[in-house]
Amino acid sequence: MELWRRAANPWGQDVLIGVSWDLMWAAVVAAGLFLAGHAVWIRTRKEEAHDGPTDVPAGIPEKIERHSFAARAFHWVMSIAMLLLLITAFVPVMGWQFNWVELHWQAGVLLIATVVYHVIHSIGWMDFWSMFQLGVSEGIATMKHILSPKAPAPPKAGKYPFDHRMYHHVIVVVSLSAIITGVLMMVRIDTPFWTRNPYLFSDSTWGVMYVVHGLSGVSLILLVASHIYFALRPEKRWITWSMVRGWIDREHYLEHFDPAKWVVTDGAMKSADGGGSGAIAEAAPSARRED
Amino acid sequence: MAERLVGIDIAPPDLHAKITGRAKYAEDFRAPGMVFAKLLLSPMPHARVRNVDARRALAMEGVIGILRADEVPSREGPREACLTDTPRYEGEPILAVAAVDEETAAAAIEAIEIDFEPLPFVIDPLESLRPGGPNAYVDGNQFSGQDGWSDLKWTDADFATIDDGGMPDPSCPVEWTKGDPDSAFAESALVLTETIVHQSLTHHPMEPRSNMCFWEGDTLHAFVSTQSSQQTKFALAGALDMDPENINLVSEYCGGGFGSKIAGTTVMQIPALFSRKINRPVMLRITRYEENYVGRARPGFQTWLKMGFLESGKCNAIDLIVVQESGPYGAGDFNTAGMIADLTYTPQNMRFRAVSMYTNTPPKAAQRGPGGAQIISMMEPILEKAGRELGVDRFEMHRMNAPGPDVEFGPRNATLTSVHAVEALDQGRELFDWDAKLAMSGQRNGSKVTGIGIGLSPYTAGSRGRDGMMVIRPDGKLYVHQGIGNLGTHSIADTARPAAELLGYNWEDVEIVWGTSSRGYPRSTVQAGSQTTTAHTRANHAAASDALRKIRAVAAATMGGSPSAYRVDSGRVSGPGGTMTLGRIAERAIAMGGEYSGEVLPEDIHAQTVPAAQMLAGEGLMGIARDNYGGDGNIYSWVAGFAMVELDTETGVVELKEYVGVTDCGTVIHPRSLGAQVFGGSIQGMGMAMTQRWVFDPQYGVPFANRLYTARPPGFLDIPSDLKWGAVDIADPQDPVGAKGIGEPPVGAGAAALTCAVADAMGGQCVCRTPLTPDILLAEIEGRPIHGRLDQHVG
Amino acid sequence: MAKIRDMIPAFELFQPTTVADALEMLDEHREQAWVLAGGLDSFDWFKDRVKRPSAVVDLGGIEELTGIRDVENGLEIGSMTSLTAIERDERIRSAYSIVADAAQHVATPQIRNQGTLGGNVSQDTRCWYYRSGWPCYRAGGNTCYAAAPQAMNREHCIMGRSRCVAVNPSDTAPALIAVDAKMIVENNGGPSVYDAEDFFIGPAIDITRMTVMEPRDLLTRIYIPATWANADFYYEKIRDRGSWDFQLVSVAAAFRRSGDTIEEARIAVNGVAPFPVRLDAVERLVQGTTGDEATANAAGELAIQGARPLRHNEYKVPLMRNLVRRAVRSVA
Repeated sequence: MELWRRAANPWGQDVLIGVSWDLMWAAVVAAGLFLAGHAVWIRTRKEEAHDGPTDVPAGIPEKIERHSFAARAFHWVMSIAMLLLLITAFVPVMGWQFNWVELHWQAGVLLIATVVYHVIHSIGWMDFWSMFQLGVSEGIATMKHILSPKAPAPPKAGKYPFDHRMYHHVIVVVSLSAIITGVLMMVRIDTPFWTRNPYLFSDSTWGVMYVVHGLSGVSLILLVASHIYFALRPEKRWITWSMVRGWIDREHYLEHFDPAKWVVTDGAMKSADGGGSGAIAEAAPSARRED
Repeated sequence: MAERLVGIDIAPPDLHAKITGRAKYAEDFRAPGMVFAKLLLSPMPHARVRNVDARRALAMEGVIGILRADEVPSREGPREACLTDTPRYEGEPILAVAAVDEETAAAAIEAIEIDFEPLPFVIDPLESLRPGGPNAYVDGNQFSGQDGWSDLKWTDADFATIDDGGMPDPSCPVEWTKGDPDSAFAESALVLTETIVHQSLTHHPMEPRSNMCFWEGDTLHAFVSTQSSQQTKFALAGALDMDPENINLVSEYCGGGFGSKIAGTTVMQIPALFSRKINRPVMLRITRYEENYVGRARPGFQTWLKMGFLESGKCNAIDLIVVQESGPYGAGDFNTAGMIADLTYTPQNMRFRAVSMYTNTPPKAAQRGPGGAQIISMMEPILEKAGRELGVDRFEMHRMNAPGPDVEFGPRNATLTSVHAVEALDQGRELFDWDAKLAMSGQRNGSKVTGIGIGLSPYTAGSRGRDGMMVIRPDGKLYVHQGIGNLGTHSIADTARPAAELLGYNWEDVEIVWGTSSRGYPRSTVQAGSQTTTAHTRANHAAASDALRKIRAVAAATMGGSPSAYRVDSGRVSGPGGTMTLGRIAERAIAMGGEYSGEVLPEDIHAQTVPAAQMLAGEGLMGIARDNYGGDGNIYSWVAGFAMVELDTETGVVELKEYVGVTDCGTVIHPRSLGAQVFGGSIQGMGMAMTQRWVFDPQYGVPFANRLYTARPPGFLDIPSDLKWGAVDIADPQDPVGAKGIGEPPVGAGAAALTCAVADAMGGQCVCRTPLTPDILLAEIEGRPIHGRLDQHVG
Repeated sequence: MAKIRDMIPAFELFQPTTVADALEMLDEHREQAWVLAGGLDSFDWFKDRVKRPSAVVDLGGIEELTGIRDVENGLEIGSMTSLTAIERDERIRSAYSIVADAAQHVATPQIRNQGTLGGNVSQDTRCWYYRSGWPCYRAGGNTCYAAAPQAMNREHCIMGRSRCVAVNPSDTAPALIAVDAKMIVENNGGPSVYDAEDFFIGPAIDITRMTVMEPRDLLTRIYIPATWANADFYYEKIRDRGSWDFQLVSVAAAFRRSGDTIEEARIAVNGVAPFPVRLDAVERLVQGTTGDEATANAAGELAIQGARPLRHNEYKVPLMRNLVRRAVRSVA
């Protein structure tokens, strides 16, 4: 299997021009194997008994806001952009030809817009650091528990469990790599905003950029596939629904989260940015904003 | 009475071989054990070879060897070697590989791992003149033998003027002034200032410069493609630092050179050196692609021209700045351009400035009418524009500004042996029917507009002082030994005709000896600058005169009486003592020896002639002499071209409807051949004006128009079928034959007639940039932007 | 690898005598196979050693691919029929003169003797960056060198670009679109029929191909329906030289008239996009008119709507406009 695509540039110098499309197929296969493996693994894994909520702290409402409307809107717009990017990037390579370039860069612009929005939103209106807690011991415990059902369950998480945080960080790194290289690569295509210029960097620098972009793209196949997979898994659907409805129910909250780490107070559904659902907001108490 | 040999059509002696395909060009020769060499060309316009790993190539079956740059002669400074590790243009040969066949050699080239360090490069000379601009060489962009390298930049102010469309006042290494241009401009009724760009274009001879060589002991047998034969032997000997007499140079036919193969080619050294290294005959077959790179090109000009005119239309002042795109190894076109501008318009007041800029493009060299063709093509439309603005008939503009016999031109006031430019114009006016055509000028037929134009083009047409050598053998035939080359112009035979006529020979009894140096050549011209016709009709005339003297002397010695009483005609000599055949005379001359058989040679013949004459001594009666006829002034020929075109204003396409070329080239020796030269040169000029060019990608410095279909020399459908030509046919008074060369001037005439006619069809608007392709013309008509108007190599 | 040109590398030559054999060979060698018709495009690639197929399937020996046949409601031209034969065929000259006219505008007599109709419509683009073996998008790389800011793109496209800005070089393509020709493409799975305008594809669809044909495919026949027989035709090709030149822009138009009125029109232009462009909107515009000056001018303006010239091909915009004008004007 080839890792890179190389070519002789106009001066006959051997330069990188991108990742090998073998990697795309490898990512597709790896994603398939991982999902199938996980599906099998999870079925064979002994079901753990969970203690039900024992002491329900006072003031925990039935519906607890997990994602504000603004956050959900960001997520789904970003998802559309990401899926469009992946489809326009890889489907033509797989053999179904269509006019993908315009759609790809436009989806890229949409992704950038959502990311910019998300960064501003998360810094200004969300508990930015809740996503960036290190949680080493939580991570170790989580890993141990995944590897062995006998290992004690990891301590209950704050709003963002360890695996969510890790996925977020990986996707941040990979997406930013794709975005930064993608933005630079846009210099090479025609847009209404500028005339293309493939000579902004040297052939070899562009080659590295293409490779980074390609690797990010290929990684995103894996990341997005696994994300969708987990979102669709029956045992995770309650949290998937929260990205649609905005809230989780009290049972799941108490089962999966540590009320001390994710403090829910009365009025949790009242969105600071006014983006919450009014009907629910009226009925729900507030949680400390951490999203 | 023997037939007349001057002024009539005679089939040249090589015609049959050419038509039947029996003519052998350098590429057609084979030798036992011959191997094929292929070249590795530089992929970069300027680079340094860091490493070559040829192990894989050399291990391939059938690969014989490799020749590297350090095994070939090289010189310091901007001088070309046949192989180099510091290529200065994309396509420059780096190394050669020899193999049993070309396929293997090509595969071996591909197997070579070679690492280049790219260096800064420049394609457009103006970029190199800009402050901070790149240079073609690491050490600078100007070179002099005394001072070495320097870096010439024009000022920001110069470029501000240029970018505003004005004429700069830059410093130039070449500058001369005649009269008082500034005062003259002040007196001018009209002053025109124009910026004009002339493109660079390749020579593209039909036969690429293939060569084959092998050695027998110290003797090199070289089968080369060259314009000149005898001089190429010396050029090759010089390059290889060997005794010229140890070279047997075979050059029977040459499929065109146009100035790119004057004394052979640089690449001819490669098979010679390679053959010596591997001790096998080596054929270096240059392909069309390679020819595009190593085959030379005409330098392009970027020019600022200021021309002043009196009310009458007489040009009274010229200020001309020429920036020449000279490639990596230079060219001299710009000097000639200045001279020709002064000669053609006789302004009396002229300032000429020029700078030759090294660039990283394939090497430049003389191309048929070098310098002259460009400047005439560029300036004639401006002259006609002045006529329009002053209300003076354009024909009269050319006529009144053309020089007379007392002309003095150039910085050193050069003179001419004869000039009949005005007569050529007058004859052309009749043949073209200028007056009737003038009425058609500007007429519109649908979207098509008629335009007419004239190009008057001079060029050098001769030199003096060469040697002639001929032998009348016992078979009675006259053997004229021609050291000039056979490049398809018929001069190989035609320059012998006046001599044969002088000796009363019928043409069937004349044998031209050419093509193989071991058969003995006298000192000859390089076949360039259209020298040959003049130089060798004179030299052969001198040798024939010597032969005639000797025939009479031998006849008188044999039959009695005074030598002067004997007449020679139709292979016999007759006089008071009786008649002898020239075969018998040859036998007698051999018997008499001394000067008659060439045992004793004239003292003033060139040292290069002596070994050949010594080789031929004793084989018959030898006529041998140096051209001592002398003369004052430069020998120039002229062609006046008249063109009528139709410009389609909706497409920018120009169709040439009529063309007439009339030449002043002295005595007409071979009318049909002369017509072919006038047409051929004019058509070459038309291609220059209308279609041909280089195109370079500015980012990588790589040319694209490197195939015939992309370089676009004119084709059969680009010219009308009834081209007309004429000749003034007035003998040059300083010449025993009166003939002058004709190769060069038609190019400028053909090109300028078209640039003028197109400007006329555009309503007098000069695009001032060649080639005048439909895109440029249509953009101009439509008022759309033409990007890179001042740039070289755009197209 | 050092570059060398003008030396054809070795390949395995297959010379089938039937279409069935040829299709089998193409099926066997797939991406490694190269279909050789007249060779004018192929040998350029081979000589430059840029395209190096291992198997070349020479169609020259397949008789059934050569010739012009009367078929029901039209003519069928074998894809290996020489351009000279098309240029000279009386049936084509009388009923579909635009096709003969277009064939006559190809290159030179020598090339037309050797070149075939199938080859002419299937040939690759002449973008010199691509032909030079540069790793451009079309060649599988990641750059269009011809659309760079300083690039030499006088011959390139003014519309239809999608990363690649090359143009289709075929002279006969627009004429075949004008007469609504059908291209019969076969592979081992059977034949497919494409309208001429759909036969050519742009880089947005597949940047590595000029036509719908994929490795196993063979263009076997071109069918010209009688629908447009004896229509009023207009063909014009603008080029730099009188011969041996690809078009800068060419136009081909067919008009069916009732009296002085244009009932229906088909107009195609080549040299302006990576594929020959059919001008549907212009066709609709001229329907019901007499092709008068005002209509012609409007047609020209409509044709160039959306044109985006590159640095050196601004001229193509008015050239295309004027050729469309002339085509429409020719009716009046």
